[in-house]
Amino acid sequence: MDRLFGLNVLAIAALFLGIASAAWAQDAPKGDAGNGRKVYLADGCYQCHGRVGQGGSMNGAAPILAQTRMPFPAFRNQVRNPVNDMPAYSESMLSDKDLADIFAFVLSLPGRRPVSEFPILNN
Amino acid sequence: MSKRTRQDTIGRRSFLKAATAAGAALGSTPAAAQPAPPSTAARPVPLPDIAAETLPPPADPVHQSSSGGDFMLDVLKTMGFAYVTQTPASTFRGLHEAIINYGMNAQPELLSCAHEEIAVAMAHGYAKIEGTPLPVMVQSTVGLQHASMALYNAYCDQAPIYMIVGNTVDAAKRGFSFEWAHSAIDPAAIVRDYVKWDDQPGSLQHFAESAVRAYQIAMTPPMAPVLLSLDSELQENPIANRAALRVPKLAQVAPPQGDAEAVADTARQLVKAQNPVIVADRMARTPQGMARLVELAEALQCPVIDTGGRSNFPNRHYLCQTGRSAALLAQADLIVGLELNDFYGTLHAFSDRIVRRSRRISRADAHTISITARQLSPRANYQDFQRYQDVDLVIAADAEQTLPSLTDQVKRLIDADRRSVFEVRGKSLQASYHSMVEQWKSDATIGWDASPITIARLCAELYDQIRNDDWSMVGNGNRVVWPRRLWNFDRHYRWIGSSGGSGIGYNAPASLGAALANRKYGRLSVAIQGDGDLMFCPGTLWTAAHHRIPILYVMHNNRAWHQELMYLQAMSNRHDRGLHNAHIGTTLTDPNIDFAMMAKSMGVYSEGPIDNPKDLAPALKRALAVVRKGQPALIDAIVESR
Repeated sequence: MDRLFGLNVLAIAALFLGIASAAWAQDAPKGDAGNGRKVYLADGCYQCHGRVGQGGSMNGAAPILAQTRMPFPAFRNQVRNPVNDMPAYSESMLSDKDLADIFAFVLSLPGRRPVSEFPILNN
Repeated sequence: MSKRTRQDTIGRRSFLKAATAAGAALGSTPAAAQPAPPSTAARPVPLPDIAAETLPPPADPVHQSSSGGDFMLDVLKTMGFAYVTQTPASTFRGLHEAIINYGMNAQPELLSCAHEEIAVAMAHGYAKIEGTPLPVMVQSTVGLQHASMALYNAYCDQAPIYMIVGNTVDAAKRGFSFEWAHSAIDPAAIVRDYVKWDDQPGSLQHFAESAVRAYQIAMTPPMAPVLLSLDSELQENPIANRAALRVPKLAQVAPPQGDAEAVADTARQLVKAQNPVIVADRMARTPQGMARLVELAEALQCPVIDTGGRSNFPNRHYLCQTGRSAALLAQADLIVGLELNDFYGTLHAFSDRIVRRSRRISRADAHTISITARQLSPRANYQDFQRYQDVDLVIAADAEQTLPSLTDQVKRLIDADRRSVFEVRGKSLQASYHSMVEQWKSDATIGWDASPITIARLCAELYDQIRNDDWSMVGNGNRVVWPRRLWNFDRHYRWIGSSGGSGIGYNAPASLGAALANRKYGRLSVAIQGDGDLMFCPGTLWTAAHHRIPILYVMHNNRAWHQELMYLQAMSNRHDRGLHNAHIGTTLTDPNIDFAMMAKSMGVYSEGPIDNPKDLAPALKRALAVVRKGQPALIDAIVESR
């Protein structure tokens, strides 16, 4: 448990330094996170995944997207040909550029913070 | 007083006295009840209106000393009903009057509801805390149709409801035109598909026997609503001979236990299995249910998936592995369902795509056993029984009642070898459990300061305020997962399950009914309340204030029927038509609803809308102070959709 927690902390710290995100996003085209946010909200990604990528649900769980560890090709494939109940977004609805911008946006989200900062989560 | 006035008064009194005496005398001979023309010369002042008041009683009597309603109440009292919910209506006015006057409005006390759906849903929530039904009185046609959706929820949720429907059976006795519209040959016909038993008694003795029979049937698993249609004349007319009427004895009903050999076989398989999983849905119907399942699971060190139909298993017990259900079911070699209504849906993943498909997520060779009383009371029309799952063994019995004998057999079969295997399994499950919980806590921090407020933060802040109380989560309209992740559900009343039929309009009134049941135990009732749901039965808030039922509603206000919005999003995407119109018909905006103002208008303390997460905790604190003093309160929080 402690080891897992430690790994999480390291991973989050690495993300803030831009190291891990660069590694996970190495296959992604350079995206515009600002435009990605606009498209993320306009195209309804937030309806299931939350405005800050915290995840949610439809009939099943909608995964957390903030600081996703999914490689861009898998991310794109899930958006274009999703598994389970996620709606498919074709290129006519969501261009490759906008998709890359969304990916940049979810990688830019702060994501998790140390649980120790929130005493009420340990009730 | 002036001389003139005094003379008038004296004259009027004298006249009344004389007329009353004459009337009384004439009253004893009704056949001669034609008043003689009064002598105008004898009257000091002519008062024609007074003369009309003092006519002798007509042949039609105007008073009675007994009624069928009084006797009906005598019968109902033997069943120990604490309350009766109702929306007032003429066809049960006889029983209504008996309750408030003859019964002095106590045991049962009459509760006022602004809609019949509220009256039934309150009884639904009450039954899941108290374990016993409440009578609900409704008008035969219009009232029962209003009530029908809530009855359907209760039926699907296996909750007992004691419906009393007023009706005027004798067409010759229906007077006003609305009485015809409020009468039916067979009122129960419209709800018979989801009522377990019904009757329309033809006499008071018939009523007495059917009333007791109905209670027994409602309380026998699988529990469900029952209905009595009571003729209005039967309620209202005098009783010819009360001494001739007998109130039948209410027998105790022992729930059905599983067949001994089938239970023994289940025990053998549970002990032998390498990766058994228990899935509990509406199993824990009494306070004993949770403890019984803990005893079985601990004996086997077997993971339990609690689907949340009731509080089946303490979520902070390491054997509560609900969050790992997919992984556990994928490797399970034995799956035992306890009152699991959707066994097929548990073993399969469903894809809501253009071509709708299910795929099995459990091993094809996994052995499956279902213990359920639902098997004993099948119905055909409404399809809430779910898709057929070809399990290996069905034990048609009440699961909670069967658990003690099953656990006893399991314990007898465990030898030293199996015990050591179980210990290893338990340690592995313990590690998985703690890892899962730490992950949930970490996930909860995402978007902590975001607006709209994340659901995780809403639930964390609420629990922080109530964790030292004897709390009861009586409603979770949108079935948000965070309470089960962050709160400690260690008692049967911590959670009561959802609607059953997924009919919107359940959460607000059913939560109030559960809070009513919690009131006498001094429990603090809280409900997470969807905005779409509250708009179905907003009058619930008035009943809460009027009857001083302590409950905190925390709005999960996402300003939409959000599940439908997501469906419209999926439909639009199928056609590549974009999402610009998905809000049409699925959102609750323009104007935004001010739920705090709505609550205030009905006498409920309220605050909101609150969209800054930093404002949430202080508002909750103030509202809970009101609730702890015995009053309802509402916090309107603007919260993330999911």
